[in-house]
Amino acid sequence: MTDEARETGVPDVPGETDGTRPARPERVRVTAAGLGAPARPAFDLRAPAPGERATEPAAVYVRSLIRSQLRLGIVAAVGFVAATVVFVLVLALVPDLSAAVVFGVPASWLLLGFGLYPLALTVAVLYVRAAARNEARYRALTVDE
Amino acid sequence: MNPWVGYLSIAAVAAASTLIGFYGLRISRTTSDFYVASRTVRPWWNASAIGGEYLSAASFLGVAGLVLLSGSQGMWFPIGYTAGYLMLLLFVAAPLRRSGAYTIPDFTQARLESTAVRRVTSTLVIVIGWFYIVPQLQGAALTVRITTGMPAWAGSVAVAVIVAAVVMAGGMRSITFVQAFQFWLKLTALAVPAVVILIVVAGGVPGLVAQAASLDPFPPAAGPAGLDVYRTVSLMVALLLGTLGLPHVLVRFYTSPDGVAARRTTVIVLALLSAFYCFPTVFGLLGRVFAPDLAEGGQADALVLMLPGRLIPGPAGVLLTALVIAGAFAAFLSTTSGLVVSLAGVISQDLLGGSVRGFRIAAVLATVVPLLVALATESSGLAGSVGLVFAFTASTLCPVLLLGIWWRGLTARGAVAGMLAGGILSALAIFGGGMLAAWAPGIRPFLEQPAAWTVPVAVAVIIVVSRTDRRGAPRGVDAFLARLHTPEA
Repeated sequence: MTDEARETGVPDVPGETDGTRPARPERVRVTAAGLGAPARPAFDLRAPAPGERATEPAAVYVRSLIRSQLRLGIVAAVGFVAATVVFVLVLALVPDLSAAVVFGVPASWLLLGFGLYPLALTVAVLYVRAAARNEARYRALTVDE
Repeated sequence: MNPWVGYLSIAAVAAASTLIGFYGLRISRTTSDFYVASRTVRPWWNASAIGGEYLSAASFLGVAGLVLLSGSQGMWFPIGYTAGYLMLLLFVAAPLRRSGAYTIPDFTQARLESTAVRRVTSTLVIVIGWFYIVPQLQGAALTVRITTGMPAWAGSVAVAVIVAAVVMAGGMRSITFVQAFQFWLKLTALAVPAVVILIVVAGGVPGLVAQAASLDPFPPAAGPAGLDVYRTVSLMVALLLGTLGLPHVLVRFYTSPDGVAARRTTVIVLALLSAFYCFPTVFGLLGRVFAPDLAEGGQADALVLMLPGRLIPGPAGVLLTALVIAGAFAAFLSTTSGLVVSLAGVISQDLLGGSVRGFRIAAVLATVVPLLVALATESSGLAGSVGLVFAFTASTLCPVLLLGIWWRGLTARGAVAGMLAGGILSALAIFGGGMLAAWAPGIRPFLEQPAAWTVPVAVAVIIVVSRTDRRGAPRGVDAFLARLHTPEA
């Protein structure tokens, strides 16, 4: 339960009570806490909390990490969908695939029934590697600071 | 079919699930254990559990039935169910794990700093969960009626009672073990009969071939060339995006230790699902050759249960039938219990104060309502009704999750407006579709598969309302997004 203790301790950010930010309204916790949830997910701000030394470059790195992860996800999704569309068009338009019979079943049926799973798996494995690379790059940048 | 085969295999699965559930109880003590298994579940265990939970009545019985009924069009269901996990991996898995929230309402509330958003999300989660449980209970009713000859309601009631008891006793730690066990049971229960049948058929049983030769089981119109473009695209939108918003799927990712483990788990799930879905497809193809009469009799969903007994003579056929029945029951039990756990989590946190006792009361509430609906309605194709739940989820929770994770401009008003728009439109199409289509037949496909237009409408509403919301994005948005996307130390 050390995790929980740490999480619930964090919202008391130093600097909130010492008058440096008088205009701010009282901090309101906005997770399940208000509903009396146990072991609630509190704000555990790994990024600089307000009042702390908010380094501008760190925020830039985070934004660029988010952008590169989003781009990667979209590229992978579009790639999967495009490959699927091409695959289906080939199945529908090449008459030989429907005429060829394997184990009593037209080849086009078998390809549609079993052919797309390897594609999904390949995209998934490639994505996981690339996403980890993006994170490693981000880590290297923040360690250099 | 000898009813004792049905009784024995159903009893065996129920007993095994309950035993593993109670074995888990010994290590499930704190409230945190109850909710998310203390986030210490290993990727392989976790992936098996996710697979176990995800493979529902629709996958186990419905897919084969649909391939039998409508040919290669039915193969798009398992493709979509699997590719949905790809989308989950690409856009949701790691950030959601890092958010540190337990449920979707927790996530939206933390992201948008609004209790109104939480209330809308909670309501949607509960509605989606209830409607997803209904086809599971209907599948159980079908299985019990076909295999034991008992009245159909007995199956629904049995599943509901077992699930409520196990969830109340153990929470999610024991559920994880039960689910993982049930995945491998389901895989075995389809794979072994499928392989045995293929061997027997390849060996050439004269009587069977003669029956098959009477008509073409694979007409080109039902093949890939006869593709209905709008319906297929819309179904894919529903299945690919609907997976992102399923409450029982998301709660599983909180049990991974960190974001990287969540991604690894998702890839394993993809592999497990790919392996599993080969077998319903095999059953469907075999059914088109050897059991076309089931399609005409409106019994397509029973194909998986009937085929082994028809094609394999003697005690071997009886054993394989028992195995298939056990697998089917594992499917109803595991999906229902996964849904009940996540629904109970939401209901108890929002209404009952989040205590262990509240969780237990919520588990009963989460089971009784869909049971009543299942008893009052008749199943109209298991895969189809689950597909509609996916369409509803894709139009409501999915856009808010995606934009909440990736777009800092999302506001609470935008999220509520989008969820209401998507929810109302897709509910109108699903429930009022029959009446509207009778009045204007041309729009029937758009009502029967609404996701292709309801999802873009929901996204557009969210973006427009968020942009015009003068209060702007919540103050903590940058810190929250940083938390979602930066790797753990």
